[in-house]
Amino acid sequence: MVTKTIKVTNSQGFHMRPATVFVNEMAKFSSDVKIIFNGTEVNGKSLMNLIAACIKFGAEIELRCDGDDEEAALAKAVELISSGLGEE
Amino acid sequence: MLKGIAASEGIGIGKVVCIRPQKITYEQRPVIGVHKEMDRLHGAVEEFVRKTNELADKMEKSVNPKEARIIRGHVTMMSDPIMVSQMDELIKKDNKCAEAAAETVLDMFGNMFRSADDELTRQRATDVEDIKARLLKILIGIEDINLKDLPAGSVIVTEDLTPSMTAELDKENVAAIVTEKGGMTSHSAILSRALEIPAVLSVMGAMGTLKDGSNVIVDGIHGEVINEPTMDQNEQYRKAGVEYIEEKRQLQAFTGRDTVTADGVAKQVFCNIGNPKDGIVARDKDGEGVGLFRTEFLFMDRDSMPGEDEQFEAYKKVCDTLPGKTVIIRTLDVGGDKEIPYMNLVKEDNPFLGFRAVRYCLKNKKSYRLQLRALIRANQAAGGNLWIMVPMVASADEIIKVKQLIKEICQEEDLPEPKTGTMIETPAACMMADVLAEHCDFFSIGTNDLTQYIMAADRGNSDVAYLYNTYDPAVLRALKMIISAGKQAGIPVGMCGEAAADPMLIPILISFGLEEFSVSPTSVLKTRREISRWTVAEADKITDKVMRLETASEVRKYLEEVRK
Repeated sequence: MVTKTIKVTNSQGFHMRPATVFVNEMAKFSSDVKIIFNGTEVNGKSLMNLIAACIKFGAEIELRCDGDDEEAALAKAVELISSGLGEE
Repeated sequence: MLKGIAASEGIGIGKVVCIRPQKITYEQRPVIGVHKEMDRLHGAVEEFVRKTNELADKMEKSVNPKEARIIRGHVTMMSDPIMVSQMDELIKKDNKCAEAAAETVLDMFGNMFRSADDELTRQRATDVEDIKARLLKILIGIEDINLKDLPAGSVIVTEDLTPSMTAELDKENVAAIVTEKGGMTSHSAILSRALEIPAVLSVMGAMGTLKDGSNVIVDGIHGEVINEPTMDQNEQYRKAGVEYIEEKRQLQAFTGRDTVTADGVAKQVFCNIGNPKDGIVARDKDGEGVGLFRTEFLFMDRDSMPGEDEQFEAYKKVCDTLPGKTVIIRTLDVGGDKEIPYMNLVKEDNPFLGFRAVRYCLKNKKSYRLQLRALIRANQAAGGNLWIMVPMVASADEIIKVKQLIKEICQEEDLPEPKTGTMIETPAACMMADVLAEHCDFFSIGTNDLTQYIMAADRGNSDVAYLYNTYDPAVLRALKMIISAGKQAGIPVGMCGEAAADPMLIPILISFGLEEFSVSPTSVLKTRREISRWTVAEADKITDKVMRLETASEVRKYLEEVRK
């Protein structure tokens, strides 16, 4: 398992559209993707669970990827979040 | 008479067609084949995705793309594989039927969304409700209500309209819409406005009071519904309806036309907007530009300052919506009655005379530079029609300092300097207008604050409200002074306060030589029509008389007499 802590920098946080971008990309990896936020574990491949977690701008989250392509999955997740999750 | 929210203007007279909500019920039954039940669920999910995409396609054509996007969002939510596997688990482990499994999981998410601490997530709970109802209907085998075959002159009375009900609605047959739920931004409201059907929403007990087939008048201008009207009422509203349509038709004739006085002097009607999306409204309502874009929305309802790129995108978006047209953006006007918690402004005894707008910005240069840089970049990226407007200027020193900052940033970034002007709203700026004009590319008069500062009367205090009056000769003299100073210096002068849309003041503003009238998008056509009614000579004559009057009430009385 690989992990990384990162700050959410896009203004909307994990709302509908940014979260959709995130899960669509994560679906391409076979590894499990988890986000730890406020002490709870959220499935990073589930749009509904991500929206329910209410992860906002400025939140500090831990990414946990576990599986065959965990390194690549983590790198992609970090890249997406730090580039603002496709927000214009 | 029933009261509700006037959500779509116009008057509709017709016969009630009650659309009762469908009962979605099923029996909890033990599952015989777990895999068969899971297949049934997956089949329904597929069907949901197919039907919903079809619906979105139809809505893109018939209603508007924004509505269609909401519906596409439902597809994305329903396609969450983790959510569907949570439903599968309930079928496998608890032996639940597909309906119960789907309902349990969707209710769980609905509750989680509803209890979230931010508004956007709470709004998504409505989507989850909608998804649940439609998925259950597919599983149970209930057909969606379709409003495509209504008789002519129908007044739809229902709990709430959903997108699936209205995708094939024929607007020719619908005289009006009445619902028990929903506000100005609900689906029902957006739809009825897009289709120009009069609508009154949130009418308590509408379904109980209004019976199928009974006659009804729906007044979408005042938000009133009259059940079983008398002959007199029928006649009265029929006339009002005709007048409304005639007025609308007359105003329509001003769409796409240049704004000119009766003797052909060119003017401009711009729009006041509060966020980038309003730019679309300004364009659709035929605004010739944006005369005031308030940037406060970007800074409110959040925990920290928006970044430069986020601001850049917002500013550029408005310019891109109105290509080739002037967009005047006001730099942050914080303070006064506008509070932004993370800026840590100290409570003042006299906030309107205190630390606000450019006074705050020049003390917080780091964040001001960030906003100016975003504006300068957006101006260059969007084609050079963005003008920067500085609010609350009381001394030439302030505008000189702001211009110096702009110059520095432009040199650092090697970008062209946008036009920069002053919002004239303090008596000091009015007295010094000739000096300020030397440092500005334009003026825009903010009559709301200017009036309260000139009259020294708080516009929010009802005890002194009688003094707060733009018709007061003191305010009119100030307007004359400002516009003359701008003309003398050869810079354009506009007005972005409410006075710009006041039909009674328009001849005076024409006579003073105001060039640009910035009004709310819904007032664009009315203002253009009003300007077209006056020649400059007529306006001069009236103004000559007005400027010799002594009180606001005399001015009002006279302007009412000569109003066209």
